[in-house]
Amino acid sequence: MRDTSLETQIRLLTLQVENWKKLHDFITYALDKSKPIISADQERHFTEIRGLLLQETEHVFSQANLIAELSGKAMNVLQRASSIRGVRDLPAEETRRLESDWNAVFTKIGVIQGQLKIRRKALLSQNFLTLSLARLFGRKAA
Amino acid sequence: MESRLLILNSDPVFEDRVLAMFDAMRKVETCIVRTLSEAIYILMRENFDLFVVEGEAAVAIGQATNTRQHFPSLEVMCLTQKTNDALLREEATLQNIGLASTDCSDRQLRGRLRRIVSAFERKTGTPAEGIDPCHSLVGNLNQFSAAEILQMSCMSQRSGRFTFKSSRGNSEIYLHHGMVRHATYSSLEGEDAVAEIFRWRQGRFYFEEGIISQVQTVNRPWTHLLIDNLQKLDETMHLTSVAGIR
Repeated sequence: MRDTSLETQIRLLTLQVENWKKLHDFITYALDKSKPIISADQERHFTEIRGLLLQETEHVFSQANLIAELSGKAMNVLQRASSIRGVRDLPAEETRRLESDWNAVFTKIGVIQGQLKIRRKALLSQNFLTLSLARLFGRKAA
Repeated sequence: MESRLLILNSDPVFEDRVLAMFDAMRKVETCIVRTLSEAIYILMRENFDLFVVEGEAAVAIGQATNTRQHFPSLEVMCLTQKTNDALLREEATLQNIGLASTDCSDRQLRGRLRRIVSAFERKTGTPAEGIDPCHSLVGNLNQFSAAEILQMSCMSQRSGRFTFKSSRGNSEIYLHHGMVRHATYSSLEGEDAVAEIFRWRQGRFYFEEGIISQVQTVNRPWTHLLIDNLQKLDETMHLTSVAGIR
C-alpha cells in the first residue's frame, strides 16, 4: 500500500536535503583554506539555493512536524550565510556556529527521512486487508 | 518492473499537484530536478524511461526541445496548461515531444498521467550479458569512453562490429577499414545512433573482428564524426556545468 501523505513528506524532505547539501558544498568552498576564486556565477547559484531554502523551509518543516525544533537553527544558518564571500569573512566562532547549526538541521532531516522510508517499506509490504485487520484489532499498522 | 521518471519542475514544493499524483502510483520511481542543467547532468549518468517537463507551455517546450537536441532517443513529455499557440504545438510535434494539458479535474489528470506512464513503461529489461571471452576486445565504458575505443580501432584500420550493452539497451557500430560504416541503436541509425552512444558512461562493450555490415548509414569520415560529436558533448557538459559547484 502507498500512503500519499507519507510519500509527500518523503518527497519534500528529499528536496530539502538536496538543497542543504548544495548549501554545504558552497560553505565548504567558501571555507577552503586555499581560498579559491569566487565567481559571480557561484554567488548567483548560492543566492538561488538560499532563496529556495528561505521559501521552503517553514513549509517543509511544518509538514514534517519539525518546525519547533529546527526552524530557529535553519534561520541562523541562512542569516549567517548571506553570500559565499560573507561566509569566508565570518570570524572563527561564527563559522563554528554556522557549521554546528547546519549539522543539526541536516542530521535531524536525515534521521526523519530514514524513519519515513522505513514506514514506507513496512506499508508497501502490507495490503489493504492486513492493514484493516491490524487497525480492527488495535495493533499498530507499521 | 518500475518505470523511472525524471521530472523537471522549477517549484516542486509548492507546485506539486502532478508530483503528488505520481507519488501515489505504484511501480513508478521519480527523480525531481529544478533546473534544466540538473536534468542534463542526471541524464548523462542515469537512464530514465521518460523525461517529464512541467511548467508554462513556452518555457516547458523550450526546455524539452533543448533536451531533445542532446538526447535524441529520450522519451520526452511536457505537462503544461492548455495552450492555443499553434507554433508551440507544431514545435513539440516536430521534436517528437508529447504534450498533455493539466487544465482538468484531479480525477481526469490522474487518469491522464496513468495513461502516460503505462504508455512509456519500460519495454526493455536488463540486457543479456552474452559477452564471449573470445571477442578480440572487451571492456567497460566506465573506464574507456566510446569515443576513445572507436578512435583506437579506426586508427588501426579495423573491420568488425562493436556491440555496446547498457541499461539503455544494446547498440552496434560497424567498422570497415577504420571507417564507421553503419550504426544502430533502438530506432536510430547512422550518425544519430553514433551520437547517442558517445554519451554513454556506463555499460560494456566488445568487438568482433571481421563482421562487416552490408548496410551503410554513415558516410562521413571518422574524424569529422569525432569532432562533431565531441563538440556536441562539450555543449552538453557546458549545460551541466552551469549548475554551480559539482
